[in-house]
Amino acid sequence: MLTRSRPRLGSVGVVDPGPARNGAPGPRDDEIAQRFAAGDESALALAYQRWAGQVHGMAVRAFGPGPDAEDVTQQTFVSAWTGRAGYRPDKGPLPAWLVGVCRHKISDTWARRDKQRREAEAAASQLQAGPSPVTAGVDTAVADRMLVLDELDLLGQPQRGIIELAFFEDLTHAQIAARTGIPLGTVKSHIRRTLERLRSRLEVDGAALHA
Amino acid sequence: MQHCMPEQLALAALREPLPAEDAAHLDSCGACAAEVASLQRAVDAVAVPLLAAPGAPVEPPAHVWDAIAAATGVPAAATGVPAAADPPAGAEIVPFRARRRPLLLVAASVLVGAVVGAGAVAVLRDSDDGVDAVQTVALDPLDENDASGRAEVVVRDDGSRALEVQLTAPALDDGYYEVWLIEPSITDMVPLGIARSGTQTFELPADLDLGEFPVVDVSVEPLDGDPLHSGVSVARGQLES
Ligand SMILES: [Zn+2]
Repeated sequence: MLTRSRPRLGSVGVVDPGPARNGAPGPRDDEIAQRFAAGDESALALAYQRWAGQVHGMAVRAFGPGPDAEDVTQQTFVSAWTGRAGYRPDKGPLPAWLVGVCRHKISDTWARRDKQRREAEAAASQLQAGPSPVTAGVDTAVADRMLVLDELDLLGQPQRGIIELAFFEDLTHAQIAARTGIPLGTVKSHIRRTLERLRSRLEVDGAALHA
Repeated sequence: MQHCMPEQLALAALREPLPAEDAAHLDSCGACAAEVASLQRAVDAVAVPLLAAPGAPVEPPAHVWDAIAAATGVPAAATGVPAAADPPAGAEIVPFRARRRPLLLVAASVLVGAVVGAGAVAVLRDSDDGVDAVQTVALDPLDENDASGRAEVVVRDDGSRALEVQLTAPALDDGYYEVWLIEPSITDMVPLGIARSGTQTFELPADLDLGEFPVVDVSVEPLDGDPLHSGVSVARGQLES
Protein backbone atom coordinates (compact mmCIF):
# COMPACT_ATOMS: atom_id res chain seq x y z
CA MET A 1 0.00 0.00 0.00
CA LEU A 2 1.46 3.28 -1.06
CA THR A 3 0.93 5.89 1.55
CA ARG A 4 2.55 9.22 2.01
CA SER A 5 3.41 11.00 5.19
CA ARG A 6 4.05 14.56 5.98
CA PRO A 7 4.54 15.31 9.66
CA ARG A 8 3.35 18.86 9.53
CA LEU A 9 -0.06 17.67 8.54
CA GLY A 10 -0.57 17.14 12.25
CA SER A 11 -0.97 20.86 12.45
CA VAL A 12 -3.43 21.04 9.61
CA GLY A 13 -4.15 24.66 9.25
CA VAL A 14 -6.43 26.98 7.51
CA VAL A 15 -6.04 28.03 3.96
CA ASP A 16 -6.75 31.59 3.13
CA PRO A 17 -9.35 31.21 0.40
CA GLY A 18 -8.18 34.53 -0.97
CA PRO A 19 -10.40 36.70 -3.08
CA ALA A 20 -13.66 35.13 -4.15
CA ARG A 21 -13.19 32.95 -7.21
CA ASN A 22 -16.24 32.70 -9.33
CA GLY A 23 -16.87 30.95 -12.60
CA ALA A 24 -16.59 27.35 -13.77
CA PRO A 25 -15.54 24.82 -11.18
CA GLY A 26 -11.98 23.56 -11.32
CA PRO A 27 -9.04 25.02 -13.19
CA ARG A 28 -9.75 27.08 -16.28
CA ASP A 29 -9.34 25.41 -19.66
CA ASP A 30 -6.33 27.54 -20.51
CA GLU A 31 -4.70 26.72 -17.20
CA ILE A 32 -5.13 23.00 -17.89
CA ALA A 33 -3.62 23.61 -21.33
CA GLN A 34 -0.58 25.37 -19.88
CA ARG A 35 -0.03 22.62 -17.34
CA PHE A 36 -0.51 19.96 -20.02
CA ALA A 37 2.12 21.56 -22.22
CA ALA A 38 4.45 21.80 -19.23
CA GLY A 39 4.13 18.07 -18.58
CA ASP A 40 2.11 18.25 -15.35
CA GLU A 41 0.65 14.75 -15.00
CA SER A 42 -2.45 16.00 -13.23
CA ALA A 43 -3.25 18.04 -16.33
CA LEU A 44 -3.55 14.86 -18.40
CA ALA A 45 -6.16 13.60 -15.97
CA LEU A 46 -7.94 16.94 -15.98
CA ALA A 47 -7.89 17.10 -19.77
CA TYR A 48 -9.28 13.58 -19.90
CA GLN A 49 -11.99 14.44 -17.40
CA ARG A 50 -13.01 17.48 -19.34
CA TRP A 51 -12.65 16.39 -22.97
CA ALA A 52 -12.63 12.60 -23.19
CA GLY A 53 -16.39 12.71 -23.79
CA GLN A 54 -15.94 14.90 -26.87
CA VAL A 55 -13.13 12.76 -28.24
CA HIS A 56 -14.93 9.51 -27.54
CA GLY A 57 -18.11 10.94 -29.04
CA MET A 58 -16.24 11.43 -32.31
CA ALA A 59 -14.72 7.97 -32.14
CA VAL A 60 -18.08 6.34 -31.46
CA ARG A 61 -19.67 8.25 -34.31
CA ALA A 62 -16.92 6.99 -36.62
CA PHE A 63 -16.82 3.35 -35.58
CA GLY A 64 -19.76 2.72 -33.29
CA PRO A 65 -19.35 1.86 -29.63
CA GLY A 66 -16.77 -0.82 -28.97
CA PRO A 67 -13.06 -1.65 -29.13
CA ASP A 68 -12.20 0.44 -32.21
CA ALA A 69 -13.69 3.61 -30.73
CA GLU A 70 -12.08 2.91 -27.38
CA ASP A 71 -8.69 2.39 -29.06
CA VAL A 72 -9.06 5.71 -30.86
CA THR A 73 -9.83 7.55 -27.62
CA GLN A 74 -7.01 5.83 -25.81
CA GLN A 75 -4.49 6.49 -28.58
CA THR A 76 -5.60 10.10 -28.84
CA PHE A 77 -4.76 10.86 -25.22
CA VAL A 78 -1.59 8.77 -25.17
CA SER A 79 -0.30 10.42 -28.37
CA ALA A 80 -1.34 13.84 -27.16
CA TRP A 81 0.55 13.31 -23.93
CA THR A 82 3.71 11.84 -25.43
CA GLY A 83 3.60 14.41 -28.23
CA ARG A 84 2.71 17.36 -26.03
CA ALA A 85 5.85 19.18 -27.18
CA GLY A 86 3.95 19.68 -30.43
CA TYR A 87 1.16 21.52 -28.66
CA ARG A 88 1.50 25.28 -28.32
CA PRO A 89 -1.02 26.85 -25.93
CA ASP A 90 -0.66 30.20 -27.68
CA LYS A 91 -1.76 28.69 -30.99
CA GLY A 92 -5.13 27.39 -29.93
CA PRO A 93 -7.15 25.72 -27.20
CA LEU A 94 -6.17 22.25 -26.02
CA PRO A 95 -9.53 20.60 -26.82
CA ALA A 96 -9.25 21.70 -30.46
CA TRP A 97 -5.80 20.18 -30.62
CA LEU A 98 -7.03 16.95 -29.03
CA VAL A 99 -9.78 16.78 -31.63
CA GLY A 100 -7.12 17.18 -34.33
CA VAL A 101 -5.13 14.31 -32.87
CA CYS A 102 -8.34 12.28 -32.72
CA ARG A 103 -8.92 12.89 -36.44
CA HIS A 104 -5.53 11.36 -37.17
CA LYS A 105 -6.36 8.31 -35.07
CA ILE A 106 -9.74 7.89 -36.74
CA SER A 107 -8.08 8.18 -40.13
CA ASP A 108 -5.39 5.64 -39.16
CA THR A 109 -7.99 3.19 -37.90
CA TRP A 110 -10.03 3.69 -41.03
CA ALA A 111 -6.98 3.03 -43.20
CA ARG A 112 -6.19 -0.13 -41.26
CA ARG A 113 -9.74 -1.40 -41.67
CA ASP A 114 -9.66 -0.52 -45.35
CA LYS A 115 -6.40 -2.39 -45.84
CA GLN A 116 -7.76 -5.45 -44.05
CA ARG A 117 -10.87 -5.38 -46.18
CA ARG A 118 -8.83 -5.15 -49.38
CA GLU A 119 -6.55 -7.96 -48.34
CA ALA A 120 -9.52 -10.12 -47.51
CA GLU A 121 -11.10 -9.33 -50.85
CA ALA A 122 -7.85 -9.99 -52.68
CA ALA A 123 -7.46 -13.31 -50.91
CA ALA A 124 -11.03 -14.24 -51.76
CA SER A 125 -10.64 -13.34 -55.43
CA GLN A 126 -7.40 -15.28 -55.65
CA LEU A 127 -9.16 -18.32 -54.32
CA GLN A 128 -11.81 -17.95 -56.96
CA ALA A 129 -9.82 -16.90 -60.00
CA GLY A 130 -6.26 -17.89 -59.40
CA PRO A 131 -3.41 -15.34 -59.37
CA SER A 132 -4.54 -11.75 -59.86
CA PRO A 133 -2.85 -8.35 -59.78
CA VAL A 134 -2.00 -7.24 -56.27
CA THR A 135 -4.51 -4.73 -55.01
CA ALA A 136 -3.12 -1.34 -54.14
CA GLY A 137 -2.27 -1.21 -50.45
CA VAL A 138 -4.15 1.95 -49.62
CA ASP A 139 -7.11 3.55 -51.25
CA THR A 140 -6.47 6.98 -52.77
CA ALA A 141 -9.12 8.63 -50.61
CA VAL A 142 -7.59 7.13 -47.48
CA ALA A 143 -4.13 8.34 -48.45
CA ASP A 144 -5.46 11.77 -49.34
CA ARG A 145 -7.17 12.02 -45.97
CA MET A 146 -3.96 11.36 -44.10
CA LEU A 147 -2.01 13.85 -46.19
CA VAL A 148 -4.60 16.59 -45.70
CA LEU A 149 -4.77 16.01 -41.94
CA ASP A 150 -1.00 16.07 -41.84
CA GLU A 151 -0.86 19.34 -43.76
CA LEU A 152 -3.52 20.90 -41.52
CA ASP A 153 -1.17 20.35 -38.59
CA LEU A 154 1.39 22.51 -40.33
CA LEU A 155 -0.96 25.46 -40.80
CA GLY A 156 -0.68 28.48 -38.57
CA GLN A 157 -3.57 30.44 -37.17
CA PRO A 158 -5.96 31.78 -38.19
CA GLN A 159 -5.66 29.68 -41.37
CA ARG A 160 -6.11 26.39 -39.56
CA GLY A 161 -9.11 27.52 -37.57
CA ILE A 162 -10.77 28.95 -40.66
CA ILE A 163 -10.37 25.86 -42.81
CA GLU A 164 -11.41 23.57 -39.97
CA LEU A 165 -14.63 25.51 -39.54
CA ALA A 166 -15.27 25.05 -43.26
CA PHE A 167 -14.27 21.37 -43.37
CA PHE A 168 -15.54 20.02 -40.11
CA GLU A 169 -18.34 22.33 -39.05
CA ASP A 170 -19.62 22.94 -42.54
CA LEU A 171 -19.77 26.71 -42.08
CA THR A 172 -19.93 29.08 -45.04
CA HIS A 173 -17.27 31.78 -45.37
CA ALA A 174 -19.82 34.33 -44.17
CA GLN A 175 -20.56 32.24 -41.08
CA ILE A 176 -16.85 31.83 -40.43
CA ALA A 177 -16.34 35.58 -40.63
CA ALA A 178 -19.21 36.12 -38.22
CA ARG A 179 -17.95 33.44 -35.84
CA THR A 180 -14.32 34.56 -35.79
CA GLY A 181 -14.64 38.29 -36.32
CA ILE A 182 -12.18 38.05 -39.22
CA PRO A 183 -13.16 40.23 -42.20
CA LEU A 184 -15.02 38.44 -44.99
CA GLY A 185 -12.39 39.18 -47.64
CA THR A 186 -9.62 37.86 -45.39
CA VAL A 187 -11.54 34.66 -44.73
CA LYS A 188 -12.02 34.13 -48.46
CA SER A 189 -8.37 34.66 -49.31
CA HIS A 190 -7.24 32.37 -46.48
CA ILE A 191 -9.59 29.66 -47.74
CA ARG A 192 -8.26 30.05 -51.26
CA ARG A 193 -4.61 29.90 -50.21
CA THR A 194 -5.16 26.96 -47.88
CA LEU A 195 -6.96 24.93 -50.55
CA GLU A 196 -4.11 25.68 -52.97
CA ARG A 197 -1.61 24.55 -50.39
CA LEU A 198 -3.52 21.32 -49.77
CA ARG A 199 -3.79 20.72 -53.51
CA SER A 200 -0.03 21.08 -53.88
CA ARG A 201 0.57 18.64 -51.06
CA LEU A 202 -1.71 16.08 -52.65
CA GLU A 203 -0.13 16.55 -56.07
CA VAL A 204 3.38 16.16 -54.71
CA ASP A 205 2.88 13.38 -52.17
CA GLY A 206 -0.43 11.82 -53.08
CA ALA A 207 -1.14 8.96 -55.40
CA ALA A 208 -1.98 10.01 -58.94
CA LEU A 209 -5.70 10.18 -59.40
CA HIS A 210 -5.67 8.47 -62.76
CA ALA A 211 -2.97 5.86 -62.56
CA MET B 1 -17.38 36.88 -69.65
CA GLN B 2 -14.34 36.79 -67.44
CA HIS B 3 -13.37 33.71 -65.46
CA CYS B 4 -14.50 33.48 -61.85
CA MET B 5 -12.31 35.02 -59.18
CA PRO B 6 -9.95 32.48 -57.59
CA GLU B 7 -11.63 33.03 -54.21
CA GLN B 8 -15.02 32.20 -55.70
CA LEU B 9 -13.68 28.97 -57.15
CA ALA B 10 -12.34 28.02 -53.73
CA LEU B 11 -15.79 28.59 -52.24
CA ALA B 12 -17.28 26.50 -55.04
CA ALA B 13 -14.84 23.73 -54.11
CA LEU B 14 -16.30 23.90 -50.59
CA ARG B 15 -19.74 23.62 -52.26
CA GLU B 16 -20.86 27.06 -51.24
CA PRO B 17 -23.45 28.50 -53.60
CA LEU B 18 -22.00 31.21 -55.82
CA PRO B 19 -23.65 34.40 -57.05
CA ALA B 20 -25.82 33.67 -60.10
CA GLU B 21 -23.39 35.14 -62.61
CA ASP B 22 -20.45 33.11 -61.31
CA ALA B 23 -22.56 29.97 -61.11
CA ALA B 24 -23.64 30.39 -64.72
CA HIS B 25 -20.06 30.90 -65.86
CA LEU B 26 -18.84 27.88 -63.93
CA ASP B 27 -21.45 25.73 -65.63
CA SER B 28 -20.10 26.64 -69.04
CA CYS B 29 -16.35 27.03 -68.49
CA GLY B 30 -14.18 23.94 -68.53
CA ALA B 31 -11.13 25.77 -67.13
CA CYS B 32 -12.95 27.05 -64.06
CA ALA B 33 -14.67 23.71 -63.53
CA ALA B 34 -11.31 21.94 -63.67
CA GLU B 35 -9.89 24.37 -61.15
CA VAL B 36 -12.76 23.67 -58.78
CA ALA B 37 -12.29 19.92 -59.19
CA SER B 38 -8.58 20.13 -58.42
CA LEU B 39 -9.24 22.12 -55.25
CA GLN B 40 -12.04 19.80 -54.28
CA ARG B 41 -9.82 16.76 -53.92
CA ALA B 42 -8.63 17.97 -50.49
CA VAL B 43 -12.14 18.98 -49.48
CA ASP B 44 -13.52 15.56 -50.33
CA ALA B 45 -10.70 13.82 -48.50
CA VAL B 46 -11.67 15.21 -45.11
CA ALA B 47 -15.16 16.71 -45.40
CA VAL B 48 -16.67 13.42 -44.30
CA PRO B 49 -18.95 12.72 -41.34
CA LEU B 50 -16.20 10.52 -39.96
CA LEU B 51 -14.12 13.58 -39.11
CA ALA B 52 -16.84 16.12 -38.40
CA ALA B 53 -16.56 18.35 -35.37
CA PRO B 54 -17.49 16.75 -32.05
CA GLY B 55 -21.21 16.34 -31.51
CA ALA B 56 -22.81 14.78 -28.49
CA PRO B 57 -20.16 13.69 -25.99
CA VAL B 58 -19.95 10.01 -25.06
CA GLU B 59 -18.18 9.06 -21.86
CA PRO B 60 -15.67 6.29 -22.52
CA PRO B 61 -15.71 3.21 -20.28
CA ALA B 62 -13.39 3.21 -17.26
CA HIS B 63 -10.80 0.88 -18.73
CA VAL B 64 -9.89 3.46 -21.36
CA TRP B 65 -8.44 5.72 -18.72
CA ASP B 66 -6.71 2.78 -17.05
CA ALA B 67 -5.00 1.98 -20.36
CA ILE B 68 -3.98 5.60 -20.86
CA ALA B 69 -2.56 5.74 -17.35
CA ALA B 70 -0.66 2.50 -17.93
CA ALA B 71 0.75 3.71 -21.24
CA THR B 72 1.80 7.13 -19.98
CA GLY B 73 2.91 6.18 -16.49
CA VAL B 74 0.51 8.65 -14.96
CA PRO B 75 -0.86 7.04 -11.78
CA ALA B 76 -4.39 5.89 -12.50
CA ALA B 77 -5.68 5.87 -8.96
CA ALA B 78 -4.19 9.22 -7.99
CA THR B 79 -5.57 11.29 -10.78
CA GLY B 80 -9.18 11.72 -9.85
CA VAL B 81 -10.59 10.69 -13.16
CA PRO B 82 -14.12 9.45 -12.73
CA ALA B 83 -14.07 5.76 -13.47
CA ALA B 84 -17.67 5.69 -14.53
CA ALA B 85 -20.34 8.29 -14.86
CA ASP B 86 -22.62 6.56 -12.42
CA PRO B 87 -22.48 3.46 -10.30
CA PRO B 88 -24.39 0.74 -12.08
CA ALA B 89 -27.91 0.11 -10.94
CA GLY B 90 -28.00 -2.19 -7.99
CA ALA B 91 -24.65 -0.99 -6.69
CA GLU B 92 -24.09 -1.74 -3.06
CA ILE B 93 -23.28 0.87 -0.50
CA VAL B 94 -20.83 -0.40 2.04
CA PRO B 95 -20.06 1.06 5.44
CA PHE B 96 -16.56 2.39 6.03
CA ARG B 97 -15.58 -0.41 8.37
CA ALA B 98 -16.73 -3.17 6.16
CA ARG B 99 -15.06 -5.97 8.05
CA ARG B 100 -16.61 -5.09 11.35
CA ARG B 101 -20.04 -4.13 10.22
CA PRO B 102 -22.75 -5.90 8.33
CA LEU B 103 -22.71 -5.20 4.64
CA LEU B 104 -25.51 -2.89 3.83
CA LEU B 105 -27.23 -3.64 0.60
CA VAL B 106 -29.06 -0.67 -0.74
CA ALA B 107 -30.38 -0.26 -4.21
CA ALA B 108 -28.71 2.73 -5.78
CA SER B 109 -32.07 4.18 -6.67
CA VAL B 110 -32.93 4.56 -3.01
CA LEU B 111 -30.14 7.08 -2.70
CA VAL B 112 -30.97 9.11 -5.74
CA GLY B 113 -31.98 12.53 -4.62
CA ALA B 114 -30.84 11.93 -1.08
CA VAL B 115 -28.95 15.18 -1.07
CA VAL B 116 -27.12 15.76 2.15
CA GLY B 117 -26.36 19.29 3.12
CA ALA B 118 -23.05 20.41 4.52
CA GLY B 119 -22.69 19.42 8.11
CA ALA B 120 -25.22 16.65 7.88
CA VAL B 121 -24.49 12.97 7.97
CA ALA B 122 -26.79 10.50 6.34
CA VAL B 123 -27.21 7.39 8.37
CA LEU B 124 -28.94 4.30 7.17
CA ARG B 125 -30.14 1.74 9.65
CA ASP B 126 -29.71 -1.91 9.00
CA SER B 127 -33.00 -3.12 10.35
CA ASP B 128 -31.80 -6.71 10.64
CA ASP B 129 -29.48 -6.14 13.55
CA GLY B 130 -30.04 -2.52 14.36
CA VAL B 131 -26.45 -1.47 13.78
CA ASP B 132 -25.87 2.01 12.42
CA ALA B 133 -23.91 1.94 9.22
CA VAL B 134 -22.58 5.19 7.84
CA GLN B 135 -22.38 5.05 4.08
CA THR B 136 -22.19 8.78 3.47
CA VAL B 137 -19.84 11.10 5.25
CA ALA B 138 -20.32 14.83 5.22
CA LEU B 139 -17.25 16.86 4.36
CA ASP B 140 -17.36 19.79 6.71
CA PRO B 141 -15.47 22.98 6.05
CA LEU B 142 -12.45 23.45 8.30
CA ASP B 143 -12.37 26.78 10.06
CA GLU B 144 -13.27 29.64 7.75
CA ASN B 145 -13.20 27.70 4.49
CA ASP B 146 -16.02 27.59 1.99
CA ALA B 147 -15.38 24.03 0.84
CA SER B 148 -17.90 21.36 1.81
CA GLY B 149 -19.54 18.30 0.39
CA ARG B 150 -19.96 14.61 0.99
CA ALA B 151 -18.24 11.33 0.28
CA GLU B 152 -19.79 7.96 -0.37
CA VAL B 153 -18.27 4.52 -0.73
CA VAL B 154 -19.65 2.53 -3.61
CA VAL B 155 -19.10 -1.15 -4.30
CA ARG B 156 -19.74 -2.29 -7.81
CA ASP B 157 -21.05 -5.64 -8.92
CA ASP B 158 -17.51 -6.84 -9.73
CA GLY B 159 -16.37 -6.06 -6.19
CA SER B 160 -14.34 -2.97 -7.08
CA ARG B 161 -14.83 0.01 -4.84
CA ALA B 162 -14.90 3.70 -5.41
CA LEU B 163 -15.29 6.83 -3.39
CA GLU B 164 -17.76 9.26 -4.82
CA VAL B 165 -17.06 12.78 -3.69
CA GLN B 166 -19.44 15.64 -4.15
CA LEU B 167 -17.60 18.86 -3.48
CA THR B 168 -18.74 22.44 -3.36
CA ALA B 169 -15.74 24.71 -3.29
CA PRO B 170 -14.51 27.93 -4.87
CA ALA B 171 -12.40 27.50 -8.00
CA LEU B 172 -8.68 27.95 -7.44
CA ASP B 173 -6.53 30.05 -9.70
CA ASP B 174 -3.19 28.87 -8.41
CA GLY B 175 -3.72 25.37 -7.12
CA TYR B 176 -6.10 22.45 -7.04
CA TYR B 177 -8.05 20.32 -4.61
CA GLU B 178 -6.94 16.84 -3.78
CA VAL B 179 -8.81 14.11 -1.93
CA TRP B 180 -7.06 11.86 0.60
CA LEU B 181 -7.91 9.02 2.92
CA ILE B 182 -6.08 9.46 6.20
CA GLU B 183 -5.47 7.50 9.39
CA PRO B 184 -7.12 8.84 12.53
CA SER B 185 -3.66 9.64 13.88
CA ILE B 186 -2.99 11.67 10.75
CA THR B 187 0.29 9.95 10.05
CA ASP B 188 -0.24 7.93 6.93
CA MET B 189 -2.49 8.83 4.08
CA VAL B 190 -3.50 7.66 0.64
CA PRO B 191 -3.89 10.19 -2.17
CA LEU B 192 -7.02 9.52 -4.20
CA GLY B 193 -6.81 12.26 -6.77
CA ILE B 194 -7.67 15.71 -7.91
CA ALA B 195 -11.09 17.12 -7.24
CA ARG B 196 -13.06 20.12 -8.26
CA SER B 197 -16.47 21.48 -7.51
CA GLY B 198 -19.01 18.91 -8.58
CA THR B 199 -19.21 15.14 -8.29
CA GLN B 200 -16.31 12.83 -9.06
CA THR B 201 -15.47 9.21 -8.48
CA PHE B 202 -12.14 7.90 -7.25
CA GLU B 203 -11.13 4.29 -7.61
CA LEU B 204 -10.15 2.72 -4.31
CA PRO B 205 -7.12 0.40 -4.31
CA ALA B 206 -8.26 -3.19 -3.82
CA ASP B 207 -6.07 -3.71 -0.74
CA LEU B 208 -7.02 -0.50 0.98
CA ASP B 209 -8.59 -1.05 4.40
CA LEU B 210 -11.03 1.77 4.85
CA GLY B 211 -11.18 0.98 8.56
CA GLU B 212 -7.58 2.11 8.85
CA PHE B 213 -8.09 5.26 6.77
CA PRO B 214 -11.49 6.57 7.80
CA VAL B 215 -10.77 10.28 7.40
CA VAL B 216 -11.80 11.78 4.08
CA ASP B 217 -9.72 14.90 3.62
CA VAL B 218 -9.79 17.60 0.94
CA SER B 219 -6.61 19.62 0.64
CA VAL B 220 -5.50 22.57 -1.42
CA GLU B 221 -2.34 21.70 -3.33
CA PRO B 222 -0.09 24.28 -4.93
CA LEU B 223 1.20 23.69 -8.46
CA ASP B 224 4.66 22.80 -7.19
CA GLY B 225 4.94 19.22 -8.36
CA ASP B 226 5.27 17.98 -4.79
CA PRO B 227 3.10 14.86 -4.46
CA LEU B 228 2.91 15.12 -0.67
CA HIS B 229 0.00 16.65 1.19
CA SER B 230 0.39 20.39 1.35
CA GLY B 231 -0.71 20.46 4.95
CA VAL B 232 -3.53 22.76 4.00
CA SER B 233 -6.87 21.04 4.45
CA VAL B 234 -10.14 22.75 3.71
CA ALA B 235 -12.77 20.09 4.40
CA ARG B 236 -12.99 16.78 6.19
CA GLY B 237 -15.33 14.02 7.12
CA GLN B 238 -14.93 11.04 9.39
CA LEU B 239 -16.89 8.04 10.40
CA GLU B 240 -18.94 9.04 13.43
CA SER B 241 -19.79 5.88 15.25
ZN1 LIG C 1 -13.90 30.29 -66.44
